[in-house]
Parts: sequence; C-alpha cells; structure tokens
Amino acid sequence: MTQKTELLDELEKQKYKYGFVTDIEADTVSVGLNEEIIRLISAKKNEPQWLLDWRLKAYRYWLSMTEPTWAKLSFEPINYQSLHYYAAPVQKVKPKSLDEVDKNLLETYNKLGIPLKEQEALAGVVAVDAVFDSVSVATTYRARLAEKGIIFCSISEAIKEHPDLVRKYLGTVVPYTDNFYACLNSAVFTDGSFVFIPKGVHCPMELSTYFRINAKNTGQFERTLIIAEDDSYVSYLEGCTAPQRDENQLHAAIVEIVVLNNAEVKYSTVQNWYPGDEYGNGGVYNFVTKRAACRGVNAKVSWTQVETGSAITWKYPSCILQGDNSVGEFYSVAITHHYQQADTGTKMIHLGKNTRSKIISKGISAGHSNQTYRGLVDISANADNARNFSQCDSLLIGTNCGSHTVPYVRNRNKSAILEHEATTSKISDEQLFYCKQRGIDEETAVGLIVNGFCKEVMQNLPMEFAIEAAKLINISLEGSVG
Amino acid sequence: MEKILEINNLFAGTYDGTKEIIKGLNLTINSGEIHAIMGPNGAGKSTLAYLLAGKKDYAPTAGQIQFCGENLLTMKPEERANAGIFLSMQYPVAIPGVSTSNFLKHALNAKRKYQGLNELDAADFLKILRNTAKELGVSPEMLKREINVGFSGGEKKRLEVLQMKLLEPKLAVLDETDSGLDIDALRTVAQGVNDLHNQNNALLIITHHLDLLNLIKPDFVHIYADGHIIRSGSKELAIELEQNGYKSFLEA
Amino acid sequence: MAIDWMNNHLWGDDIPWLIGLREKGQRMFEQLGWPNAKTEAWKYSYFPQQILDNLMVCPDSDSCQCHENCHCHDKIKTPFAAYGIKFCNGRLHSEHVNLPEGVIVKPLVEAIYEGEVKKYINKSFDLDKFPFAALNTAFLENGMMLIVERGVKLSQPIFIHYQQHQKVHTFNNIRNIIVLEKGASATITEHYEGERGSSYFNNIVNEIYAHDESQLRHYIVNNESETAYHVALNAADLRANASYEAFVMQGECAFCRHESYIRLLQKGAAATVNGAYQLCNNGISDITTNIFHLASNTDSQQLVKGVADGRSKGVFQGKIHIAPNIKQSEGHQQHRALLLSDNAEIDAKPELEIFAEDVKCSHGNTCGDLDAEQLFYMQSRGISLDDAKRILIKAHVDEAVATISDTKVKNWLLNIITKKTP
Repeated sequence: MTQKTELLDELEKQKYKYGFVTDIEADTVSVGLNEEIIRLISAKKNEPQWLLDWRLKAYRYWLSMTEPTWAKLSFEPINYQSLHYYAAPVQKVKPKSLDEVDKNLLETYNKLGIPLKEQEALAGVVAVDAVFDSVSVATTYRARLAEKGIIFCSISEAIKEHPDLVRKYLGTVVPYTDNFYACLNSAVFTDGSFVFIPKGVHCPMELSTYFRINAKNTGQFERTLIIAEDDSYVSYLEGCTAPQRDENQLHAAIVEIVVLNNAEVKYSTVQNWYPGDEYGNGGVYNFVTKRAACRGVNAKVSWTQVETGSAITWKYPSCILQGDNSVGEFYSVAITHHYQQADTGTKMIHLGKNTRSKIISKGISAGHSNQTYRGLVDISANADNARNFSQCDSLLIGTNCGSHTVPYVRNRNKSAILEHEATTSKISDEQLFYCKQRGIDEETAVGLIVNGFCKEVMQNLPMEFAIEAAKLINISLEGSVG
Repeated sequence: MEKILEINNLFAGTYDGTKEIIKGLNLTINSGEIHAIMGPNGAGKSTLAYLLAGKKDYAPTAGQIQFCGENLLTMKPEERANAGIFLSMQYPVAIPGVSTSNFLKHALNAKRKYQGLNELDAADFLKILRNTAKELGVSPEMLKREINVGFSGGEKKRLEVLQMKLLEPKLAVLDETDSGLDIDALRTVAQGVNDLHNQNNALLIITHHLDLLNLIKPDFVHIYADGHIIRSGSKELAIELEQNGYKSFLEA
Repeated sequence: MAIDWMNNHLWGDDIPWLIGLREKGQRMFEQLGWPNAKTEAWKYSYFPQQILDNLMVCPDSDSCQCHENCHCHDKIKTPFAAYGIKFCNGRLHSEHVNLPEGVIVKPLVEAIYEGEVKKYINKSFDLDKFPFAALNTAFLENGMMLIVERGVKLSQPIFIHYQQHQKVHTFNNIRNIIVLEKGASATITEHYEGERGSSYFNNIVNEIYAHDESQLRHYIVNNESETAYHVALNAADLRANASYEAFVMQGECAFCRHESYIRLLQKGAAATVNGAYQLCNNGISDITTNIFHLASNTDSQQLVKGVADGRSKGVFQGKIHIAPNIKQSEGHQQHRALLLSDNAEIDAKPELEIFAEDVKCSHGNTCGDLDAEQLFYMQSRGISLDDAKRILIKAHVDEAVATISDTKVKNWLLNIITKKTP
C-alpha cells in the first residue's frame, strides 16, 4: 500500500470512529413514506428495537393528523409521498476552484468576511474535512470535552453509545403528538446533535454544529437533544451565516432541551437557508419545533435567533417553566425580503412559582414579504409571582410588505405581572437624511439603522456570531430601499 | 480665493408644490468668508439650509446653485456631504442602537473613500475621535452612547461641532446652532467653529441672535425676508437689526 | 340544536327580499356553526348553545309579559336630559319616541316595509365572519332605523333604554340601523338593563353609517342581569373626516361579548374605541375590536381597562389592520387589567396586521394585581384595606371612563359604577 492510501485509510477509520461523517451507506431508497421505508432507515442505522417501535408509533399517529392551516402562511401543498426520506449525498460535479463558482455566491462570502479556505469548503471545491483538518480539530476538542464528561456527538452515535440517556429524554419535551411536523420528524429523523453536560460542569467552549458537519441531505429532518444536568452550563450555536443551499425543500427539525436544577443553556441560531429568488421561486421551507423544559429549580434557558433565510419559516422556540424560579428568554431578529414568509415567535408557559420570561422580538419586512410574530404567554393558576416582559417591534421597508403581531396572553394567577408592548413603524426619513448629510450612502445608512434597531437582540449572541450576523443583516436588506 | 457657493435667482418650495417659500434668492460665498443670515421666524431660512443639504421635503422650481463649480441640485445628499457641505442641524435626530462612535466612523470612512484614501480601522479611528472629542470637551462616555438618544440640547450641538471637525467641510451651514444653549456651551461651540474656519473653507450661519455673531464674527450679514435677501451689509447691519428690529427693514 | 326555524312567526313573510335574507342568515349560521374553543375569534370565550332552549321571542308589545309594576307603556324617564327611546323585553315601544326635527326614528319593521332600509342591512360587515350576526339576520324583525339628517347637530343626547323584566326569559334579536348624514352630529347612549333573576339572550347588531364630516358619540352600558347572555356586534363605516367616539361599559353577566368592527373608509376618518369591564362573580366579559384602516390619514385609539375578581373571566381581543399603500395613519391600543383573585382569569390577544410602511402603530397589554405599595401607603394613612382596594379599583376603571367627552353621560356612568362596586 502506498503512503497515501494508508493515510486515507487512517482518515477513513477515524472519521467513522468520531462519527463525523454519516455512516449511512451510499445508496438510495425509493421516494415515498411508508412503514417499509421507516424499517429500512432504522435497520441501516442499526437502531435498537425500542427506537424503531417509537418511530412506527409516530408514523401511525401522523397518518391521522392534518396539516395545520392557521398560520398566516401560504404555500403549495407538500406532497409527502414524493420526497426522499433516505438518500445518499447527491454526487454533483465539483467545481475545481473558486473561479468556477457562482460570482454572486462568492461576493456574499466576501461580504460576510469568510476566509478563502472556508469559502472553498462551502462551495464544494474541497471537502470540509481536509480544509479544517477536522480530524485533528476533533481530536483536540473532543479530548477536552471528554475530560469533563461532556458528550457532544451526532444523535445516531448517541443512540449507539448512550442509549439509556437518549431513551430517557427523547420525545419527553416534544412528544410526537405535539404537531404535524414534529410527528413526521419523529418518524423519519436521520440525524442531529446530542449534547450531554454532566452535573456541575461548565462547558468550556461554545459547541457549534459547524464542527459536526454531515452530508448535506441529513439536514432535512434534524433532531437535536440537549441535556444539562444540575448546576451545569452550555452555550450551543446552530447554523452559520453563509447561505446554505439544499436540494431538499422541506426542513422539519426538532430541538429538545432539558434543563435541571440550577443549570443554564444558551441556544443561539443564525439561519440563512436559501430563501428563494427575488421572484419567489424555490427556497427552503423551514418548519421547526424547538422547546426547552426548565424542569429544575432555578433552571434557565435563553433562545437567541437571527432568521434571514428560508422561503417559509414556521417556528416557535418555547420554554416550559416548570421548576420554581426558572427563567426563559427569547431574543429574535427576523428579516424577510422579496417573497419570503415567516410566522414565528415563542411560547412561554409558566407553571412553577416565581418564574420569569422575557421576549424581545424585532421583525424587519421588506420587498413583498410577510412576517408574523406569534407569541403565547400562558400563566397557569399555580404560577405564583410569575413575571413576563415582552417587547415586539416591527420595521417595514417599502410599500409591498406586511408585518403582523399576534401576542396571546392567558393569565390565571393574580400575582403575575405581565407587560407587553409592540410598535410598528418604518425607517424614519429624518434618520436617513441625517446619515446621508454626513456622507453615508443610503444602503449603509439602512444597515446602520436596522442594526441599531436590532441591537438589544444582537448583544445576546456569542461574539463571533454577532459580528457575522450584523454583516448578514446588511446583506439581507440589499436593494430593499429606494 | 475660490467661489464656494453661488446661488442664482433661486425659487423653491415644498416638495408637493403647494407652497412657495424661496422667491428669487441670490447669494455668493467665497472661501475664507463667514456669512450670517438673519430674518424673522418662519420666513424660510432653515428651508435654505435644507435645500443646500438636499432634504427631499423641499424642491427648487427655478434658479441654480453651484458648489465649487458643480451643479449642486443634481447631487444626492450623501454626494453633497462628501463634496464638502456640512449642515449642523437645529434638532439633530436620535438613532437608537447606533453608538456615536460607530456612526462617526462610517461618516469619516465614507468621506475618505470619496477622496480615494483607505478606510480607517476601528483602532486608528478611535484615536482620532478621542483627540478631537477632548478638544471640544466631549466626554468618552458620550461617544459610547447611542447617538443623540437622551442628549441635552447642549450635548447635541457639541456633537454637531465634533462631526464638523472630523469631516472638515468646505462649507459649514449652521442652522440656529445657538438655540437652547447657555452662555458656556455657546462659547465652547463658537470656539470650536472658529478653530475650524480657515482661508480654504466658509461658514454660513443662520441665526436670530446677536450673541453668536459676537463670538463668531461674520464678514457679511444678510437680512432675509419674503423669500429672499432684502439687504446685505457688514456686521454693523446686525447691530442695527438688533436695535431697530425686522420691521424697520421690511418697511424700507 | 334548539332553534326552531319552522315555527317562528316572524312578521314580513310576504316580502320576498326579506325572506331571502333570513334564509341566507340561517344557512350562514348553520354553516359557521355555534362557536367553540376551536373557533379562532372565540377561542377564549364561548358559551353553551343549550341556553337557547326555553327561550322564546317576545310576542307583540301589547301582551308583553310584564308584571304590574312594569310601567312599560309609560313614557320613558331618562337619567339626564335626553331624547328617550324605550325597548321592553326586546321590543321597541315606538309610541313614546319623541325626537326633534331632523331626526327620524322608525321601527325596523316599518323601515322594511317602506323598503329604504334594504340598502343598509348587512352592508357594514362580512356576514361570514360573525355567526351571531347571521343568526340575527335569520330572525330579522325587531329594532329600529335612526337617521340624523344632513347638518343636524343634536343638542341633547339620545338615550335608548333596553329593559328586561324579571323572570322573563326571552331571546331578543335586535337590529338597529343608525345613519348620520353629511355633517350631522349626535350622541347616542344605549343602556341595557336587566332585572335580577331573568335569564335571556340579547343578540344585538348595530350598523352605523357615518357620512362625511359627521360625528357620533356612542356609549353602551351593559347592565344586564347576572344570568343573562349578551352578544353584540357594532359595525361602523366611517367616511371622509367622520369621527366615531365609542365607549362600552361591561358589567357582571353570564356572558357578555361586545364586538366592534370599524372600517375607516376615507381620508380623515377617526375612531376612538374605549371600554371598561368590571367583574366580581362568575361573569365572562369579552371586548373584541377589529379596526380597519382602509384609507390614508386615518386615526384610531383604544384604551380598555378591566377588573376580574371572584371566578370571572375578562377577555380582550383587539385587531388593528392597516391595508396596503396607506399613508400617514396611526393606530394605538392599550389594554390594562387587574386580576384580583386566584380563580379569575384574563386572556388577551392584541393583534397588529400591517401592510403599509408609512404608519405608526403600537399596542400595549399589562396584567397584574393591585399595587401592594399603594395599598400599604393608604393603610398607613388610616384607610382600611377594603376601602383602599375599592379606591384603587375605581381609579383604575375611571381612567377609561374619563375619556368620555359627554359630561352628562360620564357622570351618570361613574355613578352606576360606584353603586355596583362591592
């Protein structure tokens, strides 16, 4: 064997060992969804019987459900029988260098400040592993994490290596009966992240999905489970600012977070899935169910999201504030342009005593887009001294877009104090003129003003994300004014 | 000596054309000069200032404005700013979430780009900003705050002058800069403006009061009423105005 | 379903368009179905359709089922100087209507017969959105048509008293058509008063047409019996520079839903839609508003203050809708509620639906208990805890009542509230 082959072999083995590349073989199953296909998926992944049973229960239940229509979204009905639920990565012809890559895409990468080598990876010129030398990266940080007992791996691997943990928590925060898309996901999910932080451990670094790069197709039905035991802390980053194309149009993901006594989880998302072209063709449908259960006393969860992509977004990261003194926070910036549609918001369910929730939502609509903030603050009869503060502001740019706010409030406890304010306005001419009179051109001025509008949310993002997100906001609004 | 501003027979009014405000205005400003325009309230002095800066609420209907030999009326507001026009506003607007220093960095870099210079990075810019701020008595605290959010009248005006110093305009138009200022603040502002003024640039001061003109001494004083300049003179004219009021000039 | 469609002997079964209209109402009601928790607009408040059992439509006023002390046939006595109109157990007593020149009032039946009211019925709202308005259409017969003629500015308010007698259990289906011609101005006060012990269902639809430059102040006091059901739709079309100032006071009643549907159709139209609710026992109060800005330079304001104690439930749903391409319009809304007991509930859904950029809209919603600091302060000055609570609750509700521009009506209302506060 040549040295090269040896090395490749080694790499191959290590990849498999760390589960960074999907261990699914390269073949395709036919389109459509039925029990056969689910059994096939489960078998290929070598899943234990209990999981297959769970998938089948979910699938059978899904057959009895109807797709929800109450959101202010309109889209072509999805033909669920025409999707691939299990497919090998598509063998595309790879570009040989950046010169062959779409100029617009490169321009976006440059504006976002993405280094050249990273650009090559994103464009498919080279395999990500080679660029990031992910094997050695993996070795370094996984060792650090392992020392502390932290588990961060793909969920498929977790099912094999830590089945008891998975079984204990999977589906307990988002049961498959929860909603139509969550049910579908439970039946056919292929992969996602698994994070476990043991008692008393403060995770020393931000865990990012970027390091757990899988083949493109498994983003379709992603399933993530994060468990923070007593007195632990973790900050998790999902997504990246670079525009992500995907052959799969439907993304129905689930994120479940369990937070025990005195623990804290910070979950940040920057989502820039392909939004469709400026005429409204194509684009990803992003239907996500994200929920955190603050089961322990003093548990805390903070959701921060910057949503700029997808043709259609339907997601309500929520917190169930079960433990006394638990805290739920939701910070969101949602930008829609061209023909994008978003119906997003949060649900804060106050069950325990002395619980607090804070909602800061900033929505910016431009082009022909439509955006709805939909929130629920639910105070149960036993939730003494609950506190909620909500601030939802919308900015409209142009005359063809829409922005809507629907905050529901249910209060069944007299000691709760709830405050909610919402405003809708446009970028003031005065502010634009002031910027221009100081020599700043219109597009830069809009970017400045909008970033200022979103500041309260942005300051909750981990630093690298915040800088990239600010740039992303500017790019997302290109061509919106004038 | 350079002809910085030349306004010829300018007619202008509100953008929708319903009201004519400026009726046949003529004015020439050369480099090194300080001009003052005084006139009764509501006559349209601020309108002139906004027209020069390019605010779209007002539109010219006839006449010309040349700025350093170029047709000003075809230029966008940011182009006029980059070319060297600075308008110190009477009521500077607040922009929440945008820090003063961040805003100023963008403004200065826009100008540098126009001049073909490289843009400054954060560290270099901050050095320049801090020095300039110190000279004007603007605290570092104010630079971190969101621009004009919760600023007092005096703080806003001092910030306007700070911007002027950074951007080094060819023509600085001060629109009622003295309104809302106590005597100390007025002195600081006047000092800053005077330091800025040299033989290559010019000032156009719009004001009601003599106080500011005692601190920033004008070369020419114009009385504006009925949509145009009815009388021009030297500083003595201002003193005469103070003693006799506008009525005496209008009746003349 | 206990509605006996066949055996209703409604007047007018020889007028084809009326028959057609009633049939349309019936079909729509059956299609929409009785609202329940899955009906979005009724998700917080709905009531059992069984209440329609044992209710009857009150026959002609001659044999109106009143007791001897009723004084039904006497002239109405108004609480302040006003032009009085009386309804008794759901029937208009037209013989006692005394209005000045320039105001025309006639029973709906008469207006139907003459045909002129046809151009107004169901034109100010979309029937497929309101199940009880559909029901109202199916039973269309009783009510009135009130026209204030061009340029007429009434010097006194019009006071309409809807009285329900004790132990009279009726289904009162009332449709009022109110028209203010160009430049007209009037104040209309509606007082729904039910004696204790009567269990009835008031199904009201008011259609208001305010022409250019007209001004209407519209005050509604729901002073129903504790075992009554009241569902009202106030639909108003406002034309150029028309102004509509409305206020609803909701008291204790088994179920009381006051829904406004206001369309600002032309430039300069403005609406103020305020209200207050005060519940201490088992009542459910629902104030729902839909305000549509369909032209530029329109303005809407809303302030609703509520108190829920005992086992009661207060619901507020407020939608502001701004149509595309509208300029220079503003819509502001505030809902502030006090939740005073562990068995009471407040539900709110303030909603903004905005399709235009040159607008300013805001809404605010707060809910909480009485301020402990304020209570303690009063106690430390010798005021008993009960009195202190009463003072704070009154102050809370009075803030909304204070917005009523007509002083006579405002004082009268403040009086009623004081009497009813436990």
